[in-house]
Amino acid sequence: MASNFWTSTHYKELKDPEEINVVNPIDAQRGISVEDFRLIKLHMSNYISKLAQHIKIRQRVVATAVTYMRRVYTRKSLTEYEPQLVAPTCLYLACKAEESVIHAKLIVFYIKKLYADEKFRYEIKDILEMEMKILEALNFYLVVFHPYRSLPEFLQDSGINDTSMTHLTWGLVNDTYRMDLILIHPPFLITLACIYIASVHKEKDIRTWFEELSVDMNIVKNIAMEILDFYENHRLFTEERVHAAFNKLATNS
Amino acid sequence: MGDGSSTRSNSSNSSTEKPEWLQQYNLVGKIGEGTYGLVFLARTKTPPKRPIAIKKFKQSKDGDGVSPTAIREIMLLREISHENVVKLVNVHINFSDMSLYLAFDYAEYDLYEIIRHHRDKVGHSINTYTVKSLLWQLLNGLNYLHSNWIIHRDLKPSNILVMGDGEEHGIVKIADFGLARIYQAPLKPLSDNGVVVTIWYRAPELLLGSKHYTSAVDMWAVGCIFAELLTLKPLFQGAEAKSAPNPFQLDQLDKIFKILGHPTMDKWPTLVNLPHWHTDVQHIQARKYDSVGLHNVVHLNQKSPAYDLLSKMLEYDPLKRITASQALEHEYFRMDPLPGRNAFVATQPMEKNVNYPTRPVDTNTDFEGTTSINPPQAVAAAGNVAGNMAGAHGMGNRSMPRPMVAHNMQRMQPQGMMAYNFPAQAGMNPSVPLQQQRGMGQPHQQQQLRRKDPGMGMSGYAPPNKTRRL
Repeated sequence: MASNFWTSTHYKELKDPEEINVVNPIDAQRGISVEDFRLIKLHMSNYISKLAQHIKIRQRVVATAVTYMRRVYTRKSLTEYEPQLVAPTCLYLACKAEESVIHAKLIVFYIKKLYADEKFRYEIKDILEMEMKILEALNFYLVVFHPYRSLPEFLQDSGINDTSMTHLTWGLVNDTYRMDLILIHPPFLITLACIYIASVHKEKDIRTWFEELSVDMNIVKNIAMEILDFYENHRLFTEERVHAAFNKLATNS
Repeated sequence: MGDGSSTRSNSSNSSTEKPEWLQQYNLVGKIGEGTYGLVFLARTKTPPKRPIAIKKFKQSKDGDGVSPTAIREIMLLREISHENVVKLVNVHINFSDMSLYLAFDYAEYDLYEIIRHHRDKVGHSINTYTVKSLLWQLLNGLNYLHSNWIIHRDLKPSNILVMGDGEEHGIVKIADFGLARIYQAPLKPLSDNGVVVTIWYRAPELLLGSKHYTSAVDMWAVGCIFAELLTLKPLFQGAEAKSAPNPFQLDQLDKIFKILGHPTMDKWPTLVNLPHWHTDVQHIQARKYDSVGLHNVVHLNQKSPAYDLLSKMLEYDPLKRITASQALEHEYFRMDPLPGRNAFVATQPMEKNVNYPTRPVDTNTDFEGTTSINPPQAVAAAGNVAGNMAGAHGMGNRSMPRPMVAHNMQRMQPQGMMAYNFPAQAGMNPSVPLQQQRGMGQPHQQQQLRRKDPGMGMSGYAPPNKTRRL
């Protein structure tokens, strides 16, 4: 349902982590490892954010775009669906779905501005063709629920809705899109995980509040651990490694 | 639509060849045309050869790909499933000409044609059983949409389809979701999206420039449709102002005031906050009509339940206007004749059944919209191919099981509504035990409920496109 998460296609399409970290055989042939796959998706998520900042597109649209991109790669290969084209097209499509329509030429303009590489200069027709392919790859499931939605209520309800908490949790939620969490967990659990991290970090004891929620805290803590792991390893995600991963894609096997 | 149901045409096909995916259907002909493309009637090649309405979206000319209207319609239709809402059975992409096809179960009739047939051909009103059943089912579908935070925004007789012969004979299907919105948290005021609701069915708060856009606008439209089913004439037939991009529709308001009387601050306290209430003080506030009286227009006793329900739908204050779920519980639906599943045929026939004309089909147009040179031949029983082609996408499903409704249920009790509530959420995600999901789900939804309408605007709208059928 459009507003009921439990009857939505988003809920029905949630995946196990094992299903997501599978490198498409075509990509595997080119030597892409699970780690490369993750890096490329991370890099393209960042790229979508950057592009969106230039065009002044709102965060929820960015989140939807990243979700679309990550969903595409649960079904399609990086080789056949060029990430440098898929990412901006997902942003373009998300703008339509989230009622913030932008012109394709604007996207094309900013791609050229952001990507120095001649190889990834796309024309409007490339975007439009990819839009159709993405719609198909998404099986036309376009409604995405985000952790942002329940964030203000949870913060208020737990009594820690001061500005610094809000900023911290909002930032944490933004960072969850650098991972595949949105494909795996119901969004409100991601919200809770972010609030959990923030409360521990800011030394706010809201354990009682968490206990009163009828929610499996083990899952929330597991998501929180994943997020913390991501931050831990973030320094290792260097430009060089990203380049190396993309180079594997570029080689003809 | 099943998983992975979309098919992809071979991109090497030239545009003159029939795309691969189309070969599962036999084209019957064109049944509608609109700004966004064409609607075709086709039949599946495999038995039972059920009829399918195929809506073809053209690639927009401005170089901006799939139209946002199509995107919105697909995204909503992919999420919803209800007996009284059209069923999207398939989506096809034709890469050779970058067009998009939506396949729906076909519905033979719509309220526009049914009303017209009675007015122009039959010469008597629609029987009470049929009116009540059509209204109940319309409300039932609308209640489902509203419970899922979807406002239709363009309800009018031609968008309310009714199934023809078959297992679903006489069942109402709400169609045309091109303007529908999920109203949880729009990023932009809805007014930015342009066209909204044909003016005859447009709620007074919208005509007065309301920024708050709620499900109550759909209920106003239902009230107008209810009255039209009773009298066979549009209730408020205003002349549309087309001067500016979003003109103030004075005449439409005037028509409403003449019948319902002037709205007052007593009855509608937030009236003062509406922009147009002040823009044309002389015409809007100064005129005082002696109300003709709604009951006189619709020929109903003021004490009758039918009148009571209608007047509650046409309540000026959107906050006081009856909701779809309240309307379904109304006394009108609890008294004889009770509403039924087949709006055309009551179990105990008390009145003569009317045979409605089938939809006219233009058999000389192919999927590309190209008209052949063969001489035209009449296929349809009656009616002409009017510009007001009814929403030609509906449901014609005869063989597939309908999970939510008992098949042979002839009469629907108002309490039967419960059967339409959301199916229990199956535990799909093995990593989250079902119990906890449910436990969490409830408060989550309640929190959403509290955040109703976070500042949506609806300050103006482009003139409705009369031919917008797709």
